[in-house]
Amino acid sequence: MMLGQVWPTGGEIRICSHDVTTDRKHALQKVGAIFESPVFYDYLSGWRNLEILSHYTAPTSKKRIAEVVEWVGLTGREKSKVKTYSHGMRARLALAQALLPHPELLILDEPSNGLDPEGIHEMRHTILRLHRELGLTILLSSHLLNEVEQLCPRIAVLNKGKKVFDGTIAEATRNQNWTRLRTNDFNSAIEKLRSAKLIRDTRDGNLISLNENIGTDEVVRLLVAEKISVFEITPHQETLEDFYLSLMNKN
Amino acid sequence: MFYYQLKNELWKLFGKKRTYIGFSMLMLAQLAIILILRFNPSAHRSVEHAIEANGFLGTEYFSMLTVATFMAFVLAYTLLPLYVALVGGDLVCKEYEDGTLRMILSRPVSRVRLLFLKWLAGVVFSIVLVAMLAAGGLICSAIMFPATGGLFAQLPDDTAIGAANTGIFPFQEGLQRFLFAHLFMVLKAVTIMSLAFMFSCFNMKPAAAAILALSIILIDRILMEFPFFHDLKQYFLGHYLNAWQTFYYQHLWLWHLGESAAMLCAFSLTFLIIGLAVFQVRDIKS
Repeated sequence: MMLGQVWPTGGEIRICSHDVTTDRKHALQKVGAIFESPVFYDYLSGWRNLEILSHYTAPTSKKRIAEVVEWVGLTGREKSKVKTYSHGMRARLALAQALLPHPELLILDEPSNGLDPEGIHEMRHTILRLHRELGLTILLSSHLLNEVEQLCPRIAVLNKGKKVFDGTIAEATRNQNWTRLRTNDFNSAIEKLRSAKLIRDTRDGNLISLNENIGTDEVVRLLVAEKISVFEITPHQETLEDFYLSLMNKN
Repeated sequence: MFYYQLKNELWKLFGKKRTYIGFSMLMLAQLAIILILRFNPSAHRSVEHAIEANGFLGTEYFSMLTVATFMAFVLAYTLLPLYVALVGGDLVCKEYEDGTLRMILSRPVSRVRLLFLKWLAGVVFSIVLVAMLAAGGLICSAIMFPATGGLFAQLPDDTAIGAANTGIFPFQEGLQRFLFAHLFMVLKAVTIMSLAFMFSCFNMKPAAAAILALSIILIDRILMEFPFFHDLKQYFLGHYLNAWQTFYYQHLWLWHLGESAAMLCAFSLTFLIIGLAVFQVRDIKS
């Protein structure tokens, strides 16, 4: 939808203050994009593919194409037909075509899709390089949550086309102070803790969220007094996956 | 920019191996026809008899132009519609199916402009194909038949325009008629290509777009030839598609040519506009 390929049923999408639907020419002028499986004209060379794609944005000099080819590490193979490229080389060619128009925004849709572990590592490294060396704003769409956790400082979660979260990774993973509690009877422990107003929420049959200014010592004291055995009580480190699943369950 | 973009579309079209397979098959068909006409005594005699039955010398009119025209009649009804429909049907569907269309549409180019460029590339292909048909026909025929003989053409009766069914011309006029007929044949090729292009803009497989276009052309042709529909010929697309034949009639039916040219241009533009409108509202998804 951001690239004007799917029509919105409502609302508007603005990139660099231009509406994608009504002013696509200006909105996408400084945008580069990569899709999950890089597809090219296999029967043409990598260089010719770059020429074809770049000319839909603006006339592009041979010098600029050579520069980008070198940046992505395809020098020497740019004149070979794309059908001879490995998946990793195709991914690099996809990156090259996205970088040609000097983008300010780079949209990456599942960039690691189909890559081997080495390729995934290289792709992640390249994405970080793009941000660091070229100062690009990168919008990464991925179902690999560990990848998102490693690369993105800020995330948005969509569920059935609706945004259900927008914030930093830190906000997502420290959204609530969850504590892992293991007892001989979790349900009655929860009942007692709730009536004593020590917790505000529970999750997954072993996690509790303490009320403000309540320490784990108070919880243990109460449970022991109520003759409930406490085997474990530890702060729970929330992963992005935990956060995502809890969001989906809530919605 | 427009020039570069069109050049790119042409690179995509003419960079494919199968484009040249099509051209090669066309040349092979032409060679086969020439060899049969030259070395098969029965075929050779039939043509000579047809010429002589009209009161002309077979040795003078069994020439490069006559053979090239005969080839044009055979191929304009068979390989030409097939190739332009295949290319027209591929133009949008194939790129959509392969996923390259998404790559292009992530660029700041409007769908209308992109499709117009693709259609224009299809028009260029149609021109090249007809030029190949004409040039290939003349060159191949010149190898085995007298290059400067007159033109004899035996045509289907066309009751709708009331023309006689033979055309006999001296070399100079024959060459002119031959070239104008092929120039007009470009309109036929572009119209069929545009029809396939229109289907290509719908959500379907490339082969389906080509098959649909060819089916329409074929059904139209069959119905038009039905004796009951003779009086309704002007309502069939084929009536205008085959107007290029008019150049081989002794009398040039200019009104029919003008009307047909206008109708074919109108059909092509209509197919293009429908295609554009359909594609404009489509969602492009992986």
